[in-house]
Amino acid sequence: MMDASERLRRPAYLRIWGALLVPLFLAAAYLGLVWSPQDVNQGNLIRIMYAHVSVAWIGFVAVGFTALFGALFLWRGKRRDDVLAAASGEMALLYSSLTIIGGMTYSRPTLNTFWTWDAKLTLTALMVALLVGYFIVRALVDDPVRRGRVSAVVAIVVAASLPFNYLAAEWFRTLHPSRSIALDGSGVTMAPEMLFTLLFTTVVAGLIYAWFMVDRARLGHIEAQLEAERAKRELGAAPSAGGVVRV
Amino acid sequence: MRATITRQLGRARRRLVYGLLGIGILVVAGYMINQALTTSLVYFILPNEYAQSPSQYDGRRIRLGGLVAPESVRFNDFDLQLTFLVTDGIETYPVQHVGAPPELFRENAGVVIEGSFDSGTFVSDNLLIKHSEVYEAPEDGHIDVEELRRSLQ
Repeated sequence: MMDASERLRRPAYLRIWGALLVPLFLAAAYLGLVWSPQDVNQGNLIRIMYAHVSVAWIGFVAVGFTALFGALFLWRGKRRDDVLAAASGEMALLYSSLTIIGGMTYSRPTLNTFWTWDAKLTLTALMVALLVGYFIVRALVDDPVRRGRVSAVVAIVVAASLPFNYLAAEWFRTLHPSRSIALDGSGVTMAPEMLFTLLFTTVVAGLIYAWFMVDRARLGHIEAQLEAERAKRELGAAPSAGGVVRV
Repeated sequence: MRATITRQLGRARRRLVYGLLGIGILVVAGYMINQALTTSLVYFILPNEYAQSPSQYDGRRIRLGGLVAPESVRFNDFDLQLTFLVTDGIETYPVQHVGAPPELFRENAGVVIEGSFDSGTFVSDNLLIKHSEVYEAPEDGHIDVEELRRSLQ
């Protein structure tokens, strides 16, 4: 058995990965803010797009993983999957909130409004609301198994809205511009330097998401063990006063 | 022993019921989202759609989407009166707006305007820009009007 401080210590690979994120983030900022050319219509405002779009994409990925781990928990019932789902869910909420904040920042000078209720923006607002609901549900349910199941269903519902959101500008008339990169390979309507910058910032945003997700899950496992230990003590012989639990 | 089997059967049945219930809710939610988006969220109408039945929109607040017709923009910076023609290539209507034009407002730019028609002129109180998904470096120079028009569909 490892002692407490050893178990709480962040493993070496996470420390190295975290340290690498700093220069990668600075490189992404340099590409977006300095290296990328201006847009013919938007000028320097195009630079906000790199932050907005990369964060939005990774937010979608985070929602997808939350639902995936939630589904795995429904399937196998392993506590591990629920911990990973919740860790990804926190990042999904953070990234989708940043998507809205970044979108408003980008939208005010380009589209001349902070907000409008078009299909894409409405679906994104719905996504943030449902992700908040995900954590309300988790806080309300005490039994870990039931908590994992109910929140997994919420996560799957959020994930079900992703295709609508992703293709909203193609399927419906929106103020939000449609996609510049078609995944079916039919074309990219973006200058090559801009595409490279966007892909680079997306990869960095993804690595940042993954780092926080993995580290949060690591803490989540410790929390889960603590919770299980507490439950065991409450069920077993009445604990001596205080019920102090050592990690 | 028997009690355990009964309990497990009960649990399996409950899991099935909850599972079916969950799938049912998902289907209903998906259907509702689709309905809401396709029917009530027609975000803007095009000038030719308005032209087909103007009486339907009489006095009603609508969003009109189109392109700013070339050489139609007049802006008086004394009383901030902005007038231009909005077109979808089929129908064209004059637009009246009070306020400085937004940064990306220009000829052949996509716009979505909020307001209502008053004897053939669209009186707008909110002028939004709908730019296309095309991003390019300035060397290219030209603006593809066809591409902009397609982005409005």
